[in-house]
Amino acid sequence: MSNKPDYADDILLLLTERGAHTTEIPVIQPADPFLDMAGEDLRRRIFLTESETGASLCLRPEFTIPVCLKHIETASGTPQRYAYLGQVFRQHREGGSEFFQAGVEDLGNDAVAQADATAMRDASDTLKQLLPGSSLQTTLGDQTVFEAVVAALGLPDGWQKRLIRAFGDAAQLDGMLQNLSQVNSADCGLDDEAAPLVSTNDLAGLTNLIDSRMQATGYLTNASRTPAEIARRLIQKTQLSSTRLDAKALDVLKMFLALDAPLRDAPEALAAFARIAGLDINRALVGFNARVDAMEHEGFDLAQTRYRAAFGRPLDYYTGLVFEISAQGSVLAGGGRFDRLLTLLGANAPIPAVGFSLWLDRITHARAGLARIAQKGGQSS
Amino acid sequence: MSVTIALPSKGRMKDAALAIFAKAGLEIVNIGNERSYRGVIKGMDNAEVAFLSASEIARELGSGSVDLGVTGEDLVREDLNRADEQVEFCSRLGFGHADVVVAVPEVWIDVDTMTDLGDVASDFRHRHGRRLRIATKYWRLTQQFFSSQHGIQVYRIVESLGATEGAPASGQADIIVDITSTGSTLRDNHLKILTDGVMLQSQANLVRARNRQITDADEATIAQITANIQKVSAG
Repeated sequence: MSNKPDYADDILLLLTERGAHTTEIPVIQPADPFLDMAGEDLRRRIFLTESETGASLCLRPEFTIPVCLKHIETASGTPQRYAYLGQVFRQHREGGSEFFQAGVEDLGNDAVAQADATAMRDASDTLKQLLPGSSLQTTLGDQTVFEAVVAALGLPDGWQKRLIRAFGDAAQLDGMLQNLSQVNSADCGLDDEAAPLVSTNDLAGLTNLIDSRMQATGYLTNASRTPAEIARRLIQKTQLSSTRLDAKALDVLKMFLALDAPLRDAPEALAAFARIAGLDINRALVGFNARVDAMEHEGFDLAQTRYRAAFGRPLDYYTGLVFEISAQGSVLAGGGRFDRLLTLLGANAPIPAVGFSLWLDRITHARAGLARIAQKGGQSS
Repeated sequence: MSVTIALPSKGRMKDAALAIFAKAGLEIVNIGNERSYRGVIKGMDNAEVAFLSASEIARELGSGSVDLGVTGEDLVREDLNRADEQVEFCSRLGFGHADVVVAVPEVWIDVDTMTDLGDVASDFRHRHGRRLRIATKYWRLTQQFFSSQHGIQVYRIVESLGATEGAPASGQADIIVDITSTGSTLRDNHLKILTDGVMLQSQANLVRARNRQITDADEATIAQITANIQKVSAG
């Protein structure tokens, strides 16, 4: 077992001084929420076991989901800022599998721009305190702006969803853009019964046909996708199959995704982009600029922060801000906004959420590097 | 020291493996009675044969406790992480053909490709209050194909150890990932393979473990066996 870093209490002190309440999270957690939210890909990276009754359990691989579950259970009506510090457990091909993490989850705060800025400030100030004199680079992205660009281009709903799904994964997004800019010949060789119903947009007829086929083949009509759902998607898909993403829209998307500027210059760069592209993305920009203002007000160094338009996380519960803080190429803190997570986890009403986590093992490593430099400096003088 | 060769312990895989070894001039005789799980190669005194189940063979190759094995590529790639770093596929043997495929209900007439399936998966939770469920015994292959190759992150795997093709009709899962050789079992269960849904075209392979320290004499024996097999197998 790795030891808790000697500066752990300093972190909690700083975070609680900033108004967060420390919370204790059990090490053993039900596995389903993690697999449901983060996907099956997580399965090979977590430590899974089974309870005597067959329930699937795991060693906590992170804190956000259990903190959110606790919030839903105990305090879903009231805004709370939770601070945590402890071990997380993940399998890696090489190296250890126990890591210390600390962080904050700010749940239920409607003042989005201010909450975003506060999360970034707290992460950054903690790192500054732990790594005095070290140069920190912050990268920021915003899914809301991408969503606004895609919507303003007037792309069909299905395409918007595809692009937003791939946002943050450069290879997937490239593939998706290429795919949408080609005409995809209607690959579904529709049978003689379905084809005429589709070509006349006969939703009711198609639904009945699918329903009767399910009955005939012994499929339950309510256990999975329903006949109406299949019929609706087939008609939409057929309408789209002859269209493609036009060259102008593709250029606009590529121009947007290539944006990479100091945060200080980002509002202007985004405004210029919108003007050149002829897109109305004002609402998203108002939110973006409000966050930049709040960060400036918090004393955040906007010149040391980069905005990268393509920076995002391809999981469906992230919604707005994403950020990372690194030193010497190592990512020490990561965070973002996940307004969809709490309803996905069972909250009755939407609960805004933003947070960050710090990788203490990497911070310890960076501190050791600073100490070595200081020692050398001392010797040579 | 001696060389250990793991061969399938029963069924058509066993018969076909013995046949190809015999064709390569490597006649295998059981030690003791006909049904024992140990054997030797006639005239090769530093090689022994262990008859194991096909998926055990994959694991034993990964741990380096056998030198050579005959088993399906699907099982090796499913059971071993980064299989190519742990084993070498020496020769495709021309039998045990099976494709690992993504199959959806035929009645999903709007779904033909993995992109379609990605659309369905991303909307699933919103429409049905749960993630899309995939019945399979191929956890690793499914994760690699869905998550890494096709960027589909949100789905759940339901472990299925048999009769996987029945899972969609009975409501245990929405779609399946399974092996098929002719596709007839899938058709009988009103399932269709996605046009880009063939994850792996598998067949029996002669596979060599990389994680193993061996003597020069053993190396020569392994080289001779693989060369003989390569000469008589398809490629």
